[in-house]
Amino acid sequence: MKTIKRATILCIFIARLTATPLLCQQPRPVSKSPASAIEVQMIQPGEIHLPAEFQVALYENLVQELQKKGDFLQVYREGDRNAAGASNLVTLQTTVTGFKKGSELERDVTTVGGATSITIHCKFTDKEGNVLLERDITGKVKLIGDNLKATDDFAKKAATAAQETLAPDSTSSNPKKSAYKNVI
Amino acid sequence: MIMKFKRFILWSLLLSLGTFVSLSPAQQSAQPAPASVEAVQVIGLAGLKQNTKGNLKVENGSLSFASSKNTCEVPAASIEDVVTAADSQRVIGGTVGTISRLAPYGGGTALSLLRSKVDIITIQYRDPDGGLHGAIFTTRVGKAESIKQALLAQGAHTSIPSQAKSNSYSPLHSEAMEQTN
Repeated sequence: MKTIKRATILCIFIARLTATPLLCQQPRPVSKSPASAIEVQMIQPGEIHLPAEFQVALYENLVQELQKKGDFLQVYREGDRNAAGASNLVTLQTTVTGFKKGSELERDVTTVGGATSITIHCKFTDKEGNVLLERDITGKVKLIGDNLKATDDFAKKAATAAQETLAPDSTSSNPKKSAYKNVI
Repeated sequence: MIMKFKRFILWSLLLSLGTFVSLSPAQQSAQPAPASVEAVQVIGLAGLKQNTKGNLKVENGSLSFASSKNTCEVPAASIEDVVTAADSQRVIGGTVGTISRLAPYGGGTALSLLRSKVDIITIQYRDPDGGLHGAIFTTRVGKAESIKQALLAQGAHTSIPSQAKSNSYSPLHSEAMEQTN
């Protein structure tokens, strides 16, 4: 009787030892080929009437944020001839899907109304045109700051999304930390 | 002797004045005075921080922005689009403006009512590698259009030829605004 018990315990112990490395491997994210360069295209207003200053501020803030994060070796602007020779190039195309120009005065006076928000559809593609990532990202300014601050908010969120998913050391980051909904 | 000397000085002064007066209009007609205005570079120019104050000038075929620390030049021919717009901003801005919001008895709210109108100049231009850049400037009311006209005269392009057209009613735009609002 004792021999059977010991054999059973031994079997369970061996089975757990064998299973442990397998269980540890499961939560690891699937490693994607990291991108070393990114080309940012000018923001497309689409069917939305977007003032020129918002369009330019979105584009410039996006380029600056991607450069500031430093996860991509090169950040190219739209039309840059040097981008053609870059390996592992990712192209970021953006289209405005929603825009509400609030009022700084209303925000100051009411503290609840007058928010400015911009929703932009971001599409990351590789050189062959395959879609790597698609997300709708919203930039907002709710209380303090002028209307253009919403563009800064969007740029920070978009750069973080690119960093977590496409940058070379993105495999080390925790995908659960990402607060954005992946459309794919 | 003294009288002769005085006359000689007077004649020489008159002659030099006459020469100066005759030359001045010729210079003015040959080269128009460059448009220069005080402005704030909101974002876009390389090597400058956001919201840098400086002087915006159009001369020698380029747009130059000179701050106390740095000067940036953009060739007018490389500018693909110049657009002007109007907006308003808090009179007391920056860190002081943020702190002033905490003023008691509604003082912060009252201060936020003090606003000044500004003109916005937005440009899009290409660098020597073909990369697209954008820059935004704010100036005092009525100054943006003169800068735009000076840029257009020196080879810049625009998607909105005149301010009157930009303010015209557009059903497509108003529909889009209704959808978003």
